[in-house]
Amino acid sequence: MSRGNHRPSGDPKLRLARQRLVIVTGKGGVGKSSVAAALAQAAADEGRRVLAVEIGRGGLSRLLGVEEPGPDPTPVGRSLSCVTIDPESALGEMVHGMMPLGVMARRLLQSTTFQIVAAAAPGLPEYLVLHRLSAFLDAKRLGRPRHDLVVVDAPASGHSLPLLGAPRALGALARFGPVADFLGRADAMLHDAATTAVWIVTTPEELPVREAIELHQALREDLGLTLPPPIVNAFPRRRFTSRDQGAIAEAAAHAGAHPYLVGARLEVARQRDAVEQIRLLRSAVRRAPVRLPYLPGGTGEARGLTDLTHAVARQAGFGT
Amino acid sequence: MTLDEIIASRRVLLCVGSGGVGKTTTAAAIAVEAALRGRRTAVLTVDPSRRLKDTLGLGRLDERARRVPLGAGPGHLDAMLLDVKRTFDELVRELAASAEDAERILGNRLYQNLSGALVGSAEYMAVESVYRLVEDAAYDFVVVDTPPSRHAVDFLDAPRRLLAFLDSRALAVLKNPTSILPGATSRLAQLLLSSLLAGVERFTGIGLVREVSEFVAAIESLTGGLRTRVAHVAELLGSEATALVLVTAPDARLTRDTRDLAATLGARGLRIGGVIVNRALPAALFGAAAPDPGPPVGVPPGLGTRLAECFAELRTETRRQETTLAPLLAVAGAPLLASVPPLASTPVTLAGLRELGGHLFPSEPATRTRSAGR
Repeated sequence: MSRGNHRPSGDPKLRLARQRLVIVTGKGGVGKSSVAAALAQAAADEGRRVLAVEIGRGGLSRLLGVEEPGPDPTPVGRSLSCVTIDPESALGEMVHGMMPLGVMARRLLQSTTFQIVAAAAPGLPEYLVLHRLSAFLDAKRLGRPRHDLVVVDAPASGHSLPLLGAPRALGALARFGPVADFLGRADAMLHDAATTAVWIVTTPEELPVREAIELHQALREDLGLTLPPPIVNAFPRRRFTSRDQGAIAEAAAHAGAHPYLVGARLEVARQRDAVEQIRLLRSAVRRAPVRLPYLPGGTGEARGLTDLTHAVARQAGFGT
Repeated sequence: MTLDEIIASRRVLLCVGSGGVGKTTTAAAIAVEAALRGRRTAVLTVDPSRRLKDTLGLGRLDERARRVPLGAGPGHLDAMLLDVKRTFDELVRELAASAEDAERILGNRLYQNLSGALVGSAEYMAVESVYRLVEDAAYDFVVVDTPPSRHAVDFLDAPRRLLAFLDSRALAVLKNPTSILPGATSRLAQLLLSSLLAGVERFTGIGLVREVSEFVAAIESLTGGLRTRVAHVAELLGSEATALVLVTAPDARLTRDTRDLAATLGARGLRIGGVIVNRALPAALFGAAAPDPGPPVGVPPGLGTRLAECFAELRTETRRQETTLAPLLAVAGAPLLASVPPLASTPVTLAGLRELGGHLFPSEPATRTRSAGR
């Protein structure tokens, strides 16, 4: 599986060992949640206490085997927990925190009007999500951080920009007071490349790669983030040599639409396309992307996720 | 119902589905095919990747109608980008009693935020744009690439929700937000709410309470016209003239989202015309029912083994795709209209779009002879 992925083991491509916050984003459908789940699982297998976070209704908790994820961390393994941040209920928590009478807070939250006003307040949901995240990072038990690593399955590209940009966008509005202080801390946290990594995940296909390049630019130039190399998920292996391909073309001339040959040509075309897309991505971000293998059985089942976790662990230099 | 029938007889085709399923491209390819078959077609798109203009052979793609160079023929295709803000602005100008009223609303800072947030107004404005195109005598077929919405049903539900909002007490309450609380008489409650709203104001930098009141006062002047319009639009969406097509890809998360969407649409009484699956491996070759023919004769044994491995993996992938799609088709209660194989799903030229059309409309490939301008 890792035939094309040799690298010196002292220099892992996925720098996961010392991070405290990992944010995984990318276009919908590229396997963002699977990669987030595999990152979390790989770090947990390495003995780190990991919290996997999904925002809104995502695929992460399901992948980790949690049917009904809640607002409090649910253990899913020896050192792995899973939690959901729902921006709407986060709003509820804020209101409950501010209003001493529960009944009053509930009444307010049920009101359509309040929901509209809250939705119109720019950046409020993002603020609330960041607030929860930072609480998870700050949580302590017996003087040690409760979670060594927080892995976030962030919203798809279009929505992750407002989330990551919230501290600056909102900081411009709130200049003083506790809100401003928090925003300053959140911004510093997101910009600290030693502890925070924002990973853009893509598949080696044209549209996702294009979106990954745009997101990379926006995060780097507009938000000034230092980004690790993007992750290319579902990279097809190169099975057929050039000579094989010649033989396949020749056989196809005789055998016509033999399913083996149609399949082989499909795979070769996919592989060629994938190599080209990686080249485009590489030249746009000026970093060699990290590759994760294509798994024909998918990552929706335990087996597939285990395979992906092993691939992540290899790229992170774990267990070597 | 087949895709051929839809593009021959319907007035509106809405492509719905989550982001990342190739909805924009599918909508464009269907629109191209309809135009080639002689319908005067418009495609309203959101084009998140801003690549469609190249694919369509257009120098620009914006909210103005641009003619796609398909060559001479009875039909034509105009493409335009959905611009939510602008549509809302135009609607306000049209419905406002006076130009001053319109400008007062448009200048309100809350309006500027709300035009994005107000009860799914983005979705409503998309629907409103569709309505305008349908009313436009230049078109008899409108293909819509719906905005990728977190809950895609918001798009179709937008008129109803906007009506419900207009009819609710919400507008009155917005004028005086403290009246939400039960104890309107309770000074404590009012005080608390005021302090909460003040907190939100401090945080957002918007004079929320004041601007909300101003906004509501202004927009109330146009609710009458808005109500009539919204009712018309809702009627169009639910009518026989509109076909809803679910676009999806065989990925567990995407089909789960699409399945939820199908269930919600069904619950709202909106019928799904059919399902288009992008990036689907051909079941005839790799499906469970397809036989394993063994390596073709005459290939070297080493290559034969690799071919067999490759075939086995494609079968695994196809089985996974079929398992993934089955529940969606069951919930949608609608036929599979087309399966588009991988690679064909992402054309980059007009010729590529027409090739994609060949996968979407396998039964009638004859129209692909018309010469395309590049």
